[in-house]
Amino acid sequence: MMKKLIYLLMVAMFIGAATTDIFAQKKEDKVVCFKSNMDCADCEKTIYDYLKFEKGVKDLKVDHASNTILVKYKDGKNTDEKLAEAVNKKGYEAEKISHEEYKKIMAEISENGHEHQHEQHKERE
Amino acid sequence: MKNYILLLLLLLLFIPFLTFSQNIAGTVFGNDENGKQPLPGVNVVWEGTNDGTASSPDGSFKIKQKTGQHMLVFSFVGYESQVLHVHDSDPVEVVLKPNLELEEVTVVKKNRGTYLSTINPIQTENIGGAELHKAACCNLAESFETNPSVDVSYSDAITGAKQIKLLGLDGTYSLLQVENMPNLRGLATTFGLTYIPGPWLESIQVSKGAASVLNGYDAIAGQINAELKKPDSSEKLFLNLYRNNDGRVEFNGNANIKVKGDTLTSGIFVHGHDLSKKNDNNNDGFLDEPLSRMFQIGNRWKYNNHKGYMAQAGFNILTEDRLGGQVNADRNMVSSPTNPYGVSIKNDRIDAFFKTGYVWPDTRTALAFLSNFSRHETESFYGLTDYNANESRLYASAVLTRDLNRAATHTLNSGASFIFDDFNEILYNQDIQRTEKVPGVFTEYTFKPNSNLTFMTGVRVDFHDEFGTFVTPRMHFRYRMGQHFTLRTSAGKGYRTANVLSENTFMLANSRPLKWDKNVMQEEAWNYGIALIQNYTLLGRDLTLNAEFFRTDFQSQLIVDRETSADYILLTALDGKSYANSLQFDLRWEPTERLDLLLAYRVNDIKQTIGGELKDKPLTNDYKGLINLNYTTNLKKWMFDYTVQFNGGGRIPIVASDASVAVADQKFSPYTVMNAQITKYFRLWNIYAGVENLSDFKQTNPIAGADDPFGPEFNATNVWGPVMGRKIYVGLRFNLNYD
Repeated sequence: MMKKLIYLLMVAMFIGAATTDIFAQKKEDKVVCFKSNMDCADCEKTIYDYLKFEKGVKDLKVDHASNTILVKYKDGKNTDEKLAEAVNKKGYEAEKISHEEYKKIMAEISENGHEHQHEQHKERE
Repeated sequence: MKNYILLLLLLLLFIPFLTFSQNIAGTVFGNDENGKQPLPGVNVVWEGTNDGTASSPDGSFKIKQKTGQHMLVFSFVGYESQVLHVHDSDPVEVVLKPNLELEEVTVVKKNRGTYLSTINPIQTENIGGAELHKAACCNLAESFETNPSVDVSYSDAITGAKQIKLLGLDGTYSLLQVENMPNLRGLATTFGLTYIPGPWLESIQVSKGAASVLNGYDAIAGQINAELKKPDSSEKLFLNLYRNNDGRVEFNGNANIKVKGDTLTSGIFVHGHDLSKKNDNNNDGFLDEPLSRMFQIGNRWKYNNHKGYMAQAGFNILTEDRLGGQVNADRNMVSSPTNPYGVSIKNDRIDAFFKTGYVWPDTRTALAFLSNFSRHETESFYGLTDYNANESRLYASAVLTRDLNRAATHTLNSGASFIFDDFNEILYNQDIQRTEKVPGVFTEYTFKPNSNLTFMTGVRVDFHDEFGTFVTPRMHFRYRMGQHFTLRTSAGKGYRTANVLSENTFMLANSRPLKWDKNVMQEEAWNYGIALIQNYTLLGRDLTLNAEFFRTDFQSQLIVDRETSADYILLTALDGKSYANSLQFDLRWEPTERLDLLLAYRVNDIKQTIGGELKDKPLTNDYKGLINLNYTTNLKKWMFDYTVQFNGGGRIPIVASDASVAVADQKFSPYTVMNAQITKYFRLWNIYAGVENLSDFKQTNPIAGADDPFGPEFNATNVWGPVMGRKIYVGLRFNLNYD
């Protein structure tokens, strides 16, 4: 009896966790991007760890090299402003930018990276 | 010249103000459609710290490594993060793979629990913080429950002593280290694994086969190193509470204080647990696990001037007592056949360590000094037998590391060590005393022409006051063939001082007395190993396959003979052959995002000459299988864990001359044990709940003759399976970090 109960409980919890994920993705999520002023990998971690437990946050991308933050959250559970405040609270700037601008910055960064690599490649050869 | 080197080595031993901080250099590459190319701007950070750097435009980086820092984390936008275990100061090469889902909003931030290093010349598994979260209770012994290489079992059915096995060989054949210094030996052998609370651990490294000669002559089967949390880590305060349905309550806490910025830091550690509920679920009149209390407090200090000099020191005080045996046994009762059968064990221990090091500004030369001291007192009785003992032990070692050329192709590690061990035991009213003094010198040469090849060979000579002078040669070789294969081989000799009585005190839970010819003896063995790791990408995710074979051949060994005589248990020297073969395969893969799968299977073939006959070592599983599944939700808010262990059968030792029992060997059958756990993470704290031994499998009658504990049939030492059934637990962790 006890055994069955425990099995059931475990199964229920697994299913529970799996379904919350699925349902969460079905509902429209909002995406907000910020430009910030992190300088170190450490600041990145601080912001990441703080934002991930803000209400409704579903996904997160924090990058100190490009100084950008991207937050995906459940609409209605949180607002862009409140998320910006959360970043400020940890002592960093959060200047809202559009998703397009964000993509552009990220693209530029990987472009530059490639240029460097090519140069270096030649030197090595 | 020779004298000069010897003099230098001796000198090193007496210069205690030296270190351990060295520079790790390497190159980071990105592997994308254009092939492998250097990657600039990659974050390189020591896991769990603020110490980091970024790679230069040519992909190269240099980072300072401090004692205890082993795990380098590489991360870069658009690439999957990678964690690397750094073992030595050799330049590392890291290839990051593009994260194909860049356009989508995903961050891969899952820490791999355990992984196999392909860089280290010695076959090593690293068990990181994430893995340690999987085994919620309670100490170092239990940290291996999800590990394919280490087996954990009970020594007997009364004392609660746990032993580990590596390559199927008893834990005593593995060198147990705390922070790279040998520890928990001698009197602490029996219960030592329960002396390191799980929440104090930062990581564990398990290396198999002959270890480096730098660490001593005694790693025969392998080496297990436990790293404790560091005072200069970002953790400010950590608290942990735990309770299970057997009535065990546990508290752990630690705090870090920045006394002077990052220069002088201090860490305080506390542990306490209590089990006062009597559990006898198999109704044999004996407690399934002993009542126990333990209290521990520790304090450590770290000084780092960030210019190459570092020093660390600390101490730890422990007191514990256990009471096992019949349910109505009492801590203060007089041992007598008219009273219940009881086993009472009290241990008091104090540990202290000091280590320091210096790295020259050119980073080619480093000097380190490591030392620890322990005092251990045991007071115990097993039924009518008293066993009391104390031990004082000192260990000191100094190592000079020198890169012979700028590119660090040739590296030499040389040094000297000293062991002092004073042992006093009283058993059957016999006073047994001995003192061991072992000075030794060692040197190790590493050849690393490129990042794909490492050849390491070392030798040490030790001058034992009782066993004379002996030589320990060891060799390691690693070769990475292309992207997919890493091959390792190792061979080496190992020696060990066997403390005949103190290592076998649990054998006293038995009606037969112990009989021994020597109270101390030296064990000697050769170990050979070969391992092949393969790394592939299967359906876009990393797949690691590992195959390894190790053989240990004993030239001399302490044999516990429980089957030759019905009148006593004989602790004697090996007369004949003794060997251990261990063949293991394991597979690690991520079938879907954030789901880690581990499959492992190992065959043990362990034989000893017992009573003139080569037999399977008793109470040893002939195989072990393991399945571990770990799933975390996005952003790691939930974690689910499930482990199944398939334990093979084995031989139960039976006394041949006992007419009342069948002469044929008895076998125990294979059995399965399952564990499961769920953790929910919040910003400052996390809660977990889990079940150990989910299917409630128990060995039937773990105690023979339980109805007459003072009679001739009584024996609690033939334990091969779980004594305790299903255990449900809940726990809470609170975690506050420095920003």
